[in-house]
Amino acid sequence: MDYEAVVGLEIHVELNCPTKMFCDCPNRPGDEPNKNTCPICLWLPGAIPRFGYEALDKATLACLALNCEIQEKSAFDQKVYYYPDLPKGFQLSQAHYPLARNGWLNIIGEDGQSKRLRIHHIHMEEDVAKLVHEMEGKTPISLVDFNRAGAPLIEIVTEPDMRSPHDAMEFVRLLRTQIRYAGSSECSLEAGTMRVDANISIRPRGTDQMNTKVEVKNMNSIRHVGDAIAYEIERQKESLAAGEPIVLHTRLWDPVKKVTIAMRGKFAGPCVPDPSVPPILISREWLADKIARLPEMPTVKAERFNRQFDLSEEESFQLCGEKETADYFEQVMAFPVPARMANHWLTTQLLPALKEREETLPASRVTPSRFAELLMLIDRNEVNANSAKTVLMRLFETDLPVLTVIEQGGFSQVSDASELEGIIAGVLEKHAAAVADYRGGNAKTLGFLIGQAMQASGGKANPKMVRELLIKTLTP
Amino acid sequence: MSNHFIYLDPSPQATGDGPLTGKRIAVQSNIAVQGWPTTAGSLALENYTALEDATAVARIRAQGGIITGSSRMSELGFGLRDDAGEAVLRDEGTDAVLLTDFLGEARVTAADVCMFGYKPTYGLVSRFGLIGLIPSMETYGVVSASLRTISAVMDSIAGPDARDFSMSDREKPEFAPRTISNRPTVKAGFPTEVMTMLTDEEQRAYCKGLRMLFDRGISVEEVSLPEFTLFSLVHGVMGSVEASSSAGKYDGVRYGHRAQGTKNWNEMYLKSRGEAFGALLKSYLFQGAYFQFENYDIFEKAGRIRARLVKSVNDLLDVVDILVMPTKRKPFEGRWAETVHDVYNAFSLTLPANVTGLPVLQVPGFIMDGGEDLGMQWIGPAFGDARLLDLANHFFEHNEANV
Repeated sequence: MDYEAVVGLEIHVELNCPTKMFCDCPNRPGDEPNKNTCPICLWLPGAIPRFGYEALDKATLACLALNCEIQEKSAFDQKVYYYPDLPKGFQLSQAHYPLARNGWLNIIGEDGQSKRLRIHHIHMEEDVAKLVHEMEGKTPISLVDFNRAGAPLIEIVTEPDMRSPHDAMEFVRLLRTQIRYAGSSECSLEAGTMRVDANISIRPRGTDQMNTKVEVKNMNSIRHVGDAIAYEIERQKESLAAGEPIVLHTRLWDPVKKVTIAMRGKFAGPCVPDPSVPPILISREWLADKIARLPEMPTVKAERFNRQFDLSEEESFQLCGEKETADYFEQVMAFPVPARMANHWLTTQLLPALKEREETLPASRVTPSRFAELLMLIDRNEVNANSAKTVLMRLFETDLPVLTVIEQGGFSQVSDASELEGIIAGVLEKHAAAVADYRGGNAKTLGFLIGQAMQASGGKANPKMVRELLIKTLTP
Repeated sequence: MSNHFIYLDPSPQATGDGPLTGKRIAVQSNIAVQGWPTTAGSLALENYTALEDATAVARIRAQGGIITGSSRMSELGFGLRDDAGEAVLRDEGTDAVLLTDFLGEARVTAADVCMFGYKPTYGLVSRFGLIGLIPSMETYGVVSASLRTISAVMDSIAGPDARDFSMSDREKPEFAPRTISNRPTVKAGFPTEVMTMLTDEEQRAYCKGLRMLFDRGISVEEVSLPEFTLFSLVHGVMGSVEASSSAGKYDGVRYGHRAQGTKNWNEMYLKSRGEAFGALLKSYLFQGAYFQFENYDIFEKAGRIRARLVKSVNDLLDVVDILVMPTKRKPFEGRWAETVHDVYNAFSLTLPANVTGLPVLQVPGFIMDGGEDLGMQWIGPAFGDARLLDLANHFFEHNEANV
């Protein structure tokens, strides 16, 4: 039988607030264990959670970036379950009244067409503590680290609109871009600031039934999200073919063996309102202020870049995938630099070099103005492309002005005609055979001669002039 | 050490001066005083020491009050069987006791010793540092022989606290006793439904009490709360669910009793909790877990009924200034309650003020034929705390309770 997959995602995103959700402890889960704790986030008796507005700000911006309707009233519930990572017995989560509903993202489907994937709702919740399993001699022990307890999270629950691993991966990629733009989180699956769980079921193609779903967790990259979903779809098809029913349960993705492994029955605890955390009421003015603070989002920005600069649609979209990159590009464009050239140097030279150095654009010594200065020199033929690449690498190491770096390194391009003519004369004399070859009709030899001249100049010759002068000299 | 206390401060001291200077105030053992054992009457908090002062404790000390010690209490405050509040007031030269009130404990304790007992409006006093059980129903309660002392305690502990977000934003009312110069016209309403649920003997005491109000110039009229029996049911459902959630944190891992010889964490939880909690509390927590896990619809329904009950009482308080009713039931002694059912019978008349969050004062003086005092509750409008205490002060100025 021909089956199609029905996939919905539940995505947890850790908000990058400076403090935790219900107390003033630093939101730095990676610090020395249990350093960032107080009676509130240790959930000690007598402490009362105190909701922090930073979390509301960041959560709201993220919801707006995902095209959600912010709810006038939302409220926290106690989600009850007993596990050692949650010693108070319940997690504060917005089970009944979420912060936002009815969002969407438009992805490009496998058929190349735009496809709208809907978000059912987004709610806020606190993170739980982290369990560390160790051995004490021969006894296995479990330690509890409360640094993460009470960290601010949002959970994005989609509609089951995805039909393939492709849809899910595209959705996660776009969601990450949107939330990074909003400034609410880095959304890194690898670093754990984003966690994606997938609910997967299959049905005969063409029907609209909703069959028993299986939840898959533990995917540490977008690639794994796709792989795990693809594996699970096949596993379910095989189960049905073998006449085994699909049972509601949770499976873990094993990234090494590339399989999913049954973990436990899916458990949903009861949720009761928490009387100590008052409901959140959002005024129009407050919301208007947040909407005004939302930056220009990637699609809109790309369309503008396409209109405003000499860039193709494709180039504009690529450039706007990361807000930092787009902002940097725009700052470079404040200088008289050709857009295509700036885009080319940014994406093929600067970004790879940054990645290699594990640096970020905003923190780099290669500021937009320094980068633009270098580009202008290239554009004016005062430094050639090869030398410029070396100069760019030096700019990472020094704060000296670009011109000083060029002068000190002797990277100025030789565009002086008489000097070049001298170099060319030497080359022609040395390679008489090649000259004869060229004159005999083999135009390809010109490239060889240009290369020789460039080499003779120590790479500093203006290649365009070398070419022109060579042709002029060799043409009888 | 007196066996009424679990801890007595060897050198109790105030941190400031004010209306409470020289007043000796005991707290219940679920109220945090830094460095003191804070066991809330439960093995589940055995050896637990408070890291910080409760907001109320710090404020009382700042106004000159002396916190003398921490008194014995029933397990996590459920019921009055093991409560020593009343004994502390009788035997220990204590001016006031600060305790937790989610069933009506302050009022019933006060009635037992013929004193005044006060429960403020929900949200007027910070709950920070109060190890509670039913967060939507509980506040501090104050018991004292002196109305002026109650006003002074309220004046020190009331008002916004950045550490309790569930509080009202209202500014602190002025509790300093004012003389009401003109003869105030006060209308008191007594609910018919309360009258009909009483025994003959109780009815006679109730009527005598109403007569006493009338004699003092308070007009008394009959009002109706047709759904009066629902207060207990709503409290029983919502209270037990909240208690079940609140008690979830007592797992015996970081503090409190921890069972020995268990094979894994799950068994350790089950056994530790099984050994720590007594039968009465356990059955209450089971009741809550039942509604939480098996019958959540009932919990939601109770929430809707609660809103309706609040409205019905508030509507009455638009017509009369106070609602009056007895505090205790003669046939049901809080002190002897052994089952959840007994507890709810014993507190059936005090629960409405907890369900609605309204301010309420227990006044001694619903004397029955046998000389026993049932006590009288005055329920006032939300945040009308200062006015309620002022009125009581006016009518009982020369009639401070005899201890």
